[in-house]
Amino acid sequence: MPLDLADIQGIVLRSYKMPVLRNLILRVDDAARVKALLSTLPIQTAECWESKPEYCLNIGFSADGLRALRIPDDTLNSFPPEFLLGAVGRAAAVGDTGVNDPANWIEPFRSTEVHILLSLTGQSHEVVESVTARIRGGCQGAATEVFCRDGYMPSDHRAHFGYVDGISQPRVAGVPAQKQDTPEFTDPLELVAPGAFVLGYESSHPGHFYAMPSPDALGKNGSFAAFRILQQDCYAFENFLDDAARQTGLDRELIAAKLVGRWRSGVPLSLAPEAAQQASVPLDQWNQFDHADDPAGRKCPLGSHIRRTNPRRALVAGSGGETHRIMRRGLPYGSPYDPKNPNDGVERGLLGLFICGDLRDQFEFLMKDWVNDGDFAGLGTDKDPILGNQPPAGGRYRIPGPTKPQTVVRGMSTFITTKAGAYFFLPSITALRYVSALPV
Amino acid sequence: MSPSESMSTPAPAPTMKQNPLTLIMTIKSPADFAALSAMLNKFLSLPRDKNPIDVALDKLAKVHFARFVFLENNTKLAVITSYDDSFEDYINDFIDAIGDIFNALLAHMADAPPLPVQKNRAAFLDYVRKNDLRCLGTFYSAYPTLGVKTILAQAADAE
Repeated sequence: MPLDLADIQGIVLRSYKMPVLRNLILRVDDAARVKALLSTLPIQTAECWESKPEYCLNIGFSADGLRALRIPDDTLNSFPPEFLLGAVGRAAAVGDTGVNDPANWIEPFRSTEVHILLSLTGQSHEVVESVTARIRGGCQGAATEVFCRDGYMPSDHRAHFGYVDGISQPRVAGVPAQKQDTPEFTDPLELVAPGAFVLGYESSHPGHFYAMPSPDALGKNGSFAAFRILQQDCYAFENFLDDAARQTGLDRELIAAKLVGRWRSGVPLSLAPEAAQQASVPLDQWNQFDHADDPAGRKCPLGSHIRRTNPRRALVAGSGGETHRIMRRGLPYGSPYDPKNPNDGVERGLLGLFICGDLRDQFEFLMKDWVNDGDFAGLGTDKDPILGNQPPAGGRYRIPGPTKPQTVVRGMSTFITTKAGAYFFLPSITALRYVSALPV
Repeated sequence: MSPSESMSTPAPAPTMKQNPLTLIMTIKSPADFAALSAMLNKFLSLPRDKNPIDVALDKLAKVHFARFVFLENNTKLAVITSYDDSFEDYINDFIDAIGDIFNALLAHMADAPPLPVQKNRAAFLDYVRKNDLRCLGTFYSAYPTLGVKTILAQAADAE
């Protein structure tokens, strides 16, 4: 079945690669007026564009949002349970405990006022401000803006811990090659089944279609997404690298690469196990590797961030590393970290949107089993060194050497803290019209 | 069912990695018992790398032990296993790995869920929940925090 690109929101299948991001959270005050507003929003679809637009706008509804829009109960209850419970209700299932507990989240994410997400990305601040002003005008008397946070694409594409980001994304069957998320970075993996990200199509599990809300006009061509505000502690991360270098005698940049699986330049350890080899790997090869030929993790450690979150064809517990994929969207917020001024008091991190067809089988599974546990790869209770919620006594990280002995680093703290979370349904264009037309 | 009820299956305690499954399935008829017995005996007589059950469970790497037992004058078949983590969380992986084995077994069972299980996952999960005897009290493990993959990795390191 061909993908209906004109009915699918663009954010699901493509990275817009625009420098400015604004996330607006709205609370529905007047359901009828919001429904009328929905039909006027210029939502970007996944259709190919002839020329790149000035901005792209996408939309998501939380379960509280659908309730506030007075969706009929039987329609609401056709959504998957984890979506209805929301990020707060499912916190334990993703490892949002301890410092990441929703009790420590910022408002309004602890409340029931997170109704609509508008994700606006643009070519310039001026464009984003202009579109925002139009949206705010349209919301008058209909909805209240309860949160706004901006992100940006760094000029060198390096996220706050200093690594080049945005290299690896799932390539989806049925999407034209040149319109794949990262066409410049092909990989040797099978294309991912479209139903992994878009409802109404077969998922990565053979014969299985993820549960879809009904009726079809509402569910088909929709997706789910986990919105996250992830605060990054750059000072603690850099200090840990110093400490780990002292502990092990290894070079701190080698340790930094071993934690992620890529050098900070973006070059993968799998292709450049030695620092000096980085320059020999051309850009279009940065994703041309697999972990299956490195079963002990001697090049790319089993516990590294990129290997945990995308094991590729390596043998892991379950049905394999190619299922449970997620589409990563998001950009950094907060000014870049300056090591010369480490205690600048600036909060910085990632505004993330993690898109999937089934929150439980993809986002939650990945966070619970691959990020906050280690058994799937034979690593006991070790957690992801970058994203993991480490135990109070400090986490452990194993770096297999070129031969059998491994180096063990201890005392790892939690470098990324969840400051907010929310689950959203990303409706199709048809579904937006459907919701808009429902009687109040 | 409300969302809170449907999601109310308690997660394993943080220190307890493993869980028991005692699945009791009712066989349709003596002829079905004969067919099941022949099939299982054939599988179980094969070397590990040819036995489809072993191959599937090796790939899944979530099951510590598994055995089949006929009960009650060969009118029921028990599948008794110890496995890691939440069955619900791994249901898709489980079916991907061993769904065809269950299709073959369930074809001989009374009250079987709709087949194939690959296309009827929720119904299969409900069937397993309904026919799992669970266990009395808490589940004992000599190594409660260790999963299959970690044990295999430690065993390989020790060699």
